[in-house]
Amino acid sequence: MQKKVLIVDDAVFMRNMIRDIFASAGFQVVGEAANGLEAVEKFRELRPDLTTMDIVMPFKSGIEATREIVKIDPRAVVIMCSALGQEALVMEAIEAGASDFIVKPFKPEDVVAVVKKVLGEGC
Amino acid sequence: MNWDLSKYLALFVSESREHLDAFSAGLVRLEKAGGAGEDPAAGVDELFRHAHSLKGMAAAMQQEGIALVAHRAEDVIGAIRARGETPSPEVVDLLLAVTDALSEMVQEAGGGGQPAAPEELAGRLDAAAGVLRGAPALADEAPLAAPPARLSAAEKSPPVPARGRTRRLRVEVEVTESSPVPAVRGFLVLKRLEGSGPVVSSIPAAEELRAGRMPGRTLAVEIETDLAIPEVERTLAQIADLARIEVREVEEAAPAPVPPRPEGAGEPARTVRIRAEMLDEFLDVSGELLLATARLRELGRAMPEAGRRAHEEGVDRLQAIAKDLHGRVMTARMTPLTILTDRLPRAARDLARRTGKQVDVVVTGTGIEVDRALLDEISDPVLHLLRNAVDHGLETAAERIAAGKRPTGRVEVSARRERDRVILEVTDDGRGMDPDALRRSAVARGAIGAEAAAALPDPEALLLSCLPGVSTAGRVTDVSGRGVGMDAVKRSVEALSGTLAIQSTRGKGTRFTLRLPLTVAMQPVLLVRVGQEIVAIPVSKVYGAAQASMEGLDRAGGSPQLAFAGGHVPVHDLGELLGAGAAAPGVRRSIVITESDTGRVGLAVDQLLGQQEAVLKPLHSPLSLVPGLSAVTVLGNGRPVFVLDVPRLVAA
Repeated sequence: MQKKVLIVDDAVFMRNMIRDIFASAGFQVVGEAANGLEAVEKFRELRPDLTTMDIVMPFKSGIEATREIVKIDPRAVVIMCSALGQEALVMEAIEAGASDFIVKPFKPEDVVAVVKKVLGEGC
Repeated sequence: MNWDLSKYLALFVSESREHLDAFSAGLVRLEKAGGAGEDPAAGVDELFRHAHSLKGMAAAMQQEGIALVAHRAEDVIGAIRARGETPSPEVVDLLLAVTDALSEMVQEAGGGGQPAAPEELAGRLDAAAGVLRGAPALADEAPLAAPPARLSAAEKSPPVPARGRTRRLRVEVEVTESSPVPAVRGFLVLKRLEGSGPVVSSIPAAEELRAGRMPGRTLAVEIETDLAIPEVERTLAQIADLARIEVREVEEAAPAPVPPRPEGAGEPARTVRIRAEMLDEFLDVSGELLLATARLRELGRAMPEAGRRAHEEGVDRLQAIAKDLHGRVMTARMTPLTILTDRLPRAARDLARRTGKQVDVVVTGTGIEVDRALLDEISDPVLHLLRNAVDHGLETAAERIAAGKRPTGRVEVSARRERDRVILEVTDDGRGMDPDALRRSAVARGAIGAEAAAALPDPEALLLSCLPGVSTAGRVTDVSGRGVGMDAVKRSVEALSGTLAIQSTRGKGTRFTLRLPLTVAMQPVLLVRVGQEIVAIPVSKVYGAAQASMEGLDRAGGSPQLAFAGGHVPVHDLGELLGAGAAAPGVRRSIVITESDTGRVGLAVDQLLGQQEAVLKPLHSPLSLVPGLSAVTVLGNGRPVFVLDVPRLVAA
């Protein structure tokens, strides 16, 4: 069965890029969100197998959103999308319950590798 | 859980020795004083404090054997104090034997040992305490002796079988070369492992990882967990970018003094440990260097014109270097408070377990750096305040629930800087202190009259707990509650020219506030000139300054008085006090308002030269015998200047 993915990023360009990566790797992108508030709502509604999460976003940060999502479902898999220089924020997100992280700029195969690892599908 | 106490070992040994030396010297003095018919009470109090300090330190170091012997010795001294008599030579012999035994035990502990209490000696101490109390030893002593004995048995039994399936696993991971932020990945691994069980050790530690340091891209973590190795491996297999994962079971041995580093790992920050005294020596020598430089400058003035300029340039350079060195030595003496505060949660946890209470310890502000010498001095007082908070401040879980509180008590230790002071607070949310009980206790002990006690405002009544023997504790434990701790705390704080304050609300909790200088070696001083002399007055004791001629002062009370801050302060001519003679009449003088034992006092001087950070050097005999001088400092120009001990100067 195809794994369901929710993509959270405030940049449309990033959402498109991530969507393409997941689509070509055989995932089903079930939804997108542009900020943390939307992310939590969409998660509640869609219950994806995996959520990719930008960190710095308007209204509610990715860290806060991650914390709430993990509260909704402790087994939720949230992968942080970070940039170099955001190490401290990533660690904060890990403490908030994020499962793993990828660092921009990322190569599609790296993203897929991380995701498969986290989902326990090997690589 | 293991806890690396080894880094405190050298300090424990040296401080224990100091207490033991003072203990045996005090014993001998006490015996002699008794013969001469002097009041032995003060000497007994002092012995009590040394035994008590040693016991507390040993307990913190998990040296239960030493703690037990010190505890029994304390019992005996307590019984001596209760009788109010000079101890018999037999008892003094016994206590001297205890000192010897404790010295050996401390020695053994210093070598990494865990000496047990010699049974024969403990038995003799029991018997002596019983005889002194006029009661059979056993009934009275058993409850006191039991807790440390039980604890030591519990500590020695290996925790692995006790907790059934719990095992200790050592996990090593290496992050792939391609990972852009290996430390974050290491942090993720560490967090994931925390989910499997308590982390015993982590190299690098979480803080290092947070700071982005992960030498060799390798992380080694030891955890205690109920999970089997494959389960832990499975958890880690879900983390990306790990080139190597190794999980194996390890024996729970005593922790090596330095945990082995994974191969290829570099040092995150290279450090060496040196004795604190060596830093004192450095400070001394760098001070001497400044002095010698000033001397060299003086000599240059007598040189022929031709070579003088080059000489002066050389001296300028030398002085700049000497000053730089001095500053660096001062910086090297600064130590983060964590060295002290790291010990606190563990001490509180052990104590909570022993007393059957639940306690959370929160420590904040540990990044503040203070002079190493100061840190050494305040370690015991802070540890003692924490113990008091847990043992007496906090209620049992049942009492707390009945009072509508969370069952788990909270003790907060916080540190912050306020200008040149460091403020340490120990706050509990326990039952609070009862000022009336303290008033009664102090009156019963004869420390204060009933009327004076009744007239004391509550905050000052709370400070009565700092008088020897005054306590509100209904029972005596092996932790505190014998009325010795608080007086030692107050004394230590005041010896550092700090202050202690207590705030307490019944049913809500108690806060102890220590205000301390950042350093004991460096103090701001006010430089003043009297005739040809320059002397220094500690700024912490200066309340203000005024201008007046001695003749213009109010002499209604016989001695000259200066109107200051709504009152009158007596004024002394500093020149006269120093034996340099009074100033010529009619000259306008500067008057520094400072403090003597009897209240504020004015010192008339010829000129205020300004404030300066002074490096204080202790005086040695015979100068230390001159009343009114507390230390000497060297000015930037190499001139030595005495720092005044105003209370003693005025009293002399």
